[in-house]
This record gives sequence, structure tokens and C-alpha cells, in this order.
Amino acid sequence: MRGNIIKYPRDNIDTDVIIPGQYLKVHDYAELATHAMEGLDPDFHSKVKEGDFILSGKNFGCGSSREHAPIALSHCGVKAILALSFARIFYRNSVDGAFLLPIEIDQDAYDGISEGDEIDIDISKNEIKNITKNQTYKMKPFSEIIGKIIAAGGLFKYKPDQD
Amino acid sequence: MGKTLFEKIWESHIVVEKQNEPDLIYIDRHLVHEVTSPQAFDGLRMNNRKVRRPDLTIATMDHNVPTTDRSLPMLDETSSIQIKTLENNCKDFGIKLFDINSPNQGIVHVIGPQLGITLPGSTIVCGDSHTSTHGAFGALALGIGTSEVEHVLASQTLWLEKPKTFEVRVEGKRKNTHAVTAKDIILSIIKNIGTAGGTGTVIEYRGEGISDLSMDQRMTICNMSIEGGARAGLIAPDEKTFDYLRNREYTPKNYESLVDSWRDDLKTDSDATFDKQFILDINDITPQVSWGTNPGMTCDVDEPIPSPDEFSNGDPNQKKGAEKALEYMDLKPGTMIEDIKIDRVFIGSCTNARLEDLIEASKIIQGQKVASNVSAMVVPGSQMVKKQAEEMGLDKIFTDANFEWREAGCSMCLGMNPDILSPGERCASTSNRNFEGRQGNGGRTHLVSPVMAAAAAINGHFVDVRKLDLN
Repeated sequence: MRGNIIKYPRDNIDTDVIIPGQYLKVHDYAELATHAMEGLDPDFHSKVKEGDFILSGKNFGCGSSREHAPIALSHCGVKAILALSFARIFYRNSVDGAFLLPIEIDQDAYDGISEGDEIDIDISKNEIKNITKNQTYKMKPFSEIIGKIIAAGGLFKYKPDQD
Repeated sequence: MGKTLFEKIWESHIVVEKQNEPDLIYIDRHLVHEVTSPQAFDGLRMNNRKVRRPDLTIATMDHNVPTTDRSLPMLDETSSIQIKTLENNCKDFGIKLFDINSPNQGIVHVIGPQLGITLPGSTIVCGDSHTSTHGAFGALALGIGTSEVEHVLASQTLWLEKPKTFEVRVEGKRKNTHAVTAKDIILSIIKNIGTAGGTGTVIEYRGEGISDLSMDQRMTICNMSIEGGARAGLIAPDEKTFDYLRNREYTPKNYESLVDSWRDDLKTDSDATFDKQFILDINDITPQVSWGTNPGMTCDVDEPIPSPDEFSNGDPNQKKGAEKALEYMDLKPGTMIEDIKIDRVFIGSCTNARLEDLIEASKIIQGQKVASNVSAMVVPGSQMVKKQAEEMGLDKIFTDANFEWREAGCSMCLGMNPDILSPGERCASTSNRNFEGRQGNGGRTHLVSPVMAAAAAINGHFVDVRKLDLN
């Protein structure tokens, strides 16, 4: 999976800035997407491209349980969030609906990857390649559970292993 | 080895358990509201599924309902559609709904306990992060997203990763129990553990500082567990819990025999261990006021606002966060909290809009007037709270002081209805989140207790309520 980075070098990006409360009444996902990150970066919608990744700090997606947050980002074309850590409801929402991949990175990746860098994510190897800078970082492997939900294509497609 | 309360509840709800698989957990109660449910019901329809247990599913409308005169038509068409959609969904799927005209309508986390729907030892979910509130009754209560709402509607179960356990022990006695409240305890906890301190855990709040609290106060504590990053917050039930739930509208008929078993079962064993621990001594804690843009950015009422260096302890992202927060909040380090002037006061939300919150705030308001530069409102957590408060004459105390007295709902906690801040307005708010834009684009939120909010309304700036006579 290859894409370019939009970097928000801060912690605690909450779901209220990802999609402000006033838009939770919007049911058209294309319209919802036009308001993604509006609370933090009003230019986001004009700069994001299909296949982009967002990179950020700790506790990404904290706050409200609104699934509108990963939905809005995915409908802008964002395929993955790379963050030092995630709030759990956002993390689960991202994979439950197969909206985007929440990828936990370490400090090396966080420091090494810059805005605009082209990145290749290989979840089979738990590896992130920075094409622009010719660097490689490790990603934290998904737990077995989350890996299986992702592989199935979301919560409703997941079936436990048969005995 | 002994087990924690969380582990006991978890284990008693496992439907399917396999090595290296998530556990399939049975859900005893599912609370539904208008904002996070429409897509879930659409999903059921698309797949020709029914609601598995409509009898265990309860709905109300709270997030976007107007708090003004409800005999008038709703002005916001999109909110009106969302409300109508919930009505239709509940009708189509046979779910009990407390609609906008019901005497039981209110914030979902306020009405659950009031109606006796929230029970000790049960599992409760809702498509809302503040579901953690119900943990005050010894229930395992989880906020979930819309995909999971659909999964619970369809199956009454959820695939969950087992959280870790986190003991937060609150020791000591508050010196002034009217001035230093449950809100100050939970804000102190979050200030210390951080907004991600509880990530992946279920917190059990224990100790004298917790057992001393009333049920309304315990709900304030558990409510904000999510603000410390936790999946849920729990308090072991005791006689106060059992008394609270006795003779409510939906209290089970066999309640006394349930209480007997809860008394024996629903506690952490003395030899149980937790994965993590934090101890807070509350002997000397003060009223708390948030100064930044997350609930961890909080200080004592008699402290100056910290500089980004002081706040961050050398963490560059924390420092940047504090700088951005001060800029957004238009505040300078070194400013004393009591010198901050406010424009608006909001007493409401699932954190602090229960009867006791309104009683405590009214003691400050009685015989006073809201400062001329401030506009202030009270939004009771439920229509039942509103009615009880009116029977006590609290509405008169608030309106005489020039507070607005509104109908129940989430209101200005999250800015989904017309109750919002204007850009630049500064609000003393009893709610739970001070995120940028949370109460309206450009609005500035300071999280405080109901008594602190009331005193700020009267004075036009924050006041250390320990200086006031509150008895």
C-alpha cells in the first residue's frame, strides 16, 4: 500500500476536530468527507488525495465514539493513519467498518517521516518503507484479533476459526 | 488467585471463548440514540436482519434535540429528520423509545439509572463514549461505534478484546465536600494519569474517597473515564447503589434476590491484582479548572496557568500541544485562574446535570444575579430531573438569577443543536470535553464542577468556591 504523508505533529487529535459535531447529522458520506479535519485544518479537503496517509502523535482519535470520524477520512481517500498510539474506540471503528488501517508506529518512524514523503506500508512484514528518504521502519503488528477482522474485511465479515 | 470485579463480570458474559480469538461477549442492555444508530438500522434492513432482543434495547433522543419550547416545530430540518428516523426505526424494529415528548426523555446516561435499566453486574453498550457513566453501578459499560451498534442489534453480542485492569484508588477525605466535588476528583485523576493513561484498560475506582460519594457523584467519576483513555470505569456496588435502584420504573421484580447475589459476588477479591495502579490522595485537593483543549490540561483553582515548558516536562509534542491550546484559548501562562473572565455558563451534560448537581449549584445562585456580561443556562439531564428540580423550586432560583431553564438534552456539551458558543466566547462548562470547537466553532471551554460554574456565572470570572459559605 503506497501513499503520501500528511503530517500533524501533535498528540490527542480528537474526533471532534476530525469531524465536528454539527456534521453528525450528515448521512451523505461524500458530503461528510468535505468536512473532514475541518476543526483542525480547514485546508485538509483541498490537499488530501486518494491513497494518502495521515501521520500523527499519541492518542489519535480520542473522544467521541462517532464512527463518522474514520468514515469521513476514508471517504476523502485516506487509507491509513500512522500514529504513536490510538484511542480504542476510534481504532476499533476504523477496522470494524474496514474504513482505514490504524497503524501504530514507533518514535523513529514518527521523527523520520515528513509531510509529503512517499511511504509504502507492508502489513504482511510489519514494515514501513519511506521511498522518499530510503529509510525503513517497523510498525507494531496488529493483535491477532484485529488482524483477523482486517483480513476478513470488517466486523460483519469476520467469523471465528472453526475447530 | 482472586479476581477483579471487571474479570468477574467479563467471565460471566462470555458466549464464545477460544485461544487467540476475541471473546464473544453477551450484552445485557443496549441503549440507542438518534445520532449513532441510523446507519446501523439501515444495515439491518439491507441484510434482512431483525433486532435480536428488542426487549433489551431502549432508545431515546438526546444529542440534537432542541432544549427550547418543544410544542413549537423544530427549526433545524436535519435534526428533525434524524429524530423522525429514530422514531421510524424503533417502530419498525419493536424497540421501546422515550421520544421528545416522553416524561422519561433525557440524556441516555442519565435516564438509564433513573429508570432502573442500569443494573449491577450487567454489560451495557451504547453508541456513545460516555456510556462509561453506568459503571458507577458496577456495570461493565462500553461506548461503541456504529458498526458495533449494528452487531449488537443483530446478535446481542460483541467480539471484544479483553481490556487490562487499572486500579485508581482514591484515598482520604475532602475538607469541604460542597466546594470540592466528584468533578474535581476525576479532573485531578485525568490531570495526573493523562488523556491516554487508561488506554486499553477498564478502571476500577476504589477507596474511601469513592465509597463516600453519592450515586450522582459516582456517575460523574465514571462518566469521564473515557477522558482518561479507558474503555470503561467501574465502582463496586454497595448499599447506596442498591438503594438508588430500588423501586424504579424498570427495576426487576426479583430485585431483592438479585441484590443478595450482587452483595456476595460483585466485588474485587482481596487477593486480586491489577495490571496498573494510580493512587490519588484527596485530603488537600482543590476545585479544578481546565485551561487547555483536552481534559488533562487542568490546574488547581488557586494556581496560575502553567507555561508550555512546565506543562510538558520535556515532551516536545506536549509542549507544542500546550502552546497551541493557549493560543486557541487566548490565555497566557502565569494568569491566575480567578482572573479569567467568562461570557457563558453551561450547567448540563451527562457529566453534571443530575438532581444533586442542580441542588448544589442552586445554593450558590440563591438570591444572586448572573453577572451582566454573562449569559447562563441550566439544561437538566432528563425530563425527570427537570421535574424533580421544579418540585423543589430550583427552577425559580435559577430563573430569578437570570439563568435560562431548559428542556433536557445534551445541548451545549457537543454543539449539535442550536445551543452553541460563538467564536471567541469563553464558557465555564460542567461538561466533559474542552476540545477545540466542541461547544461551537471557535468556542473556548473551561471544564468545572456545577458549583464552580454557578459561582463564575454570578461573578463574571472564576472564583475559588472554597471561599464561599456553602452549607
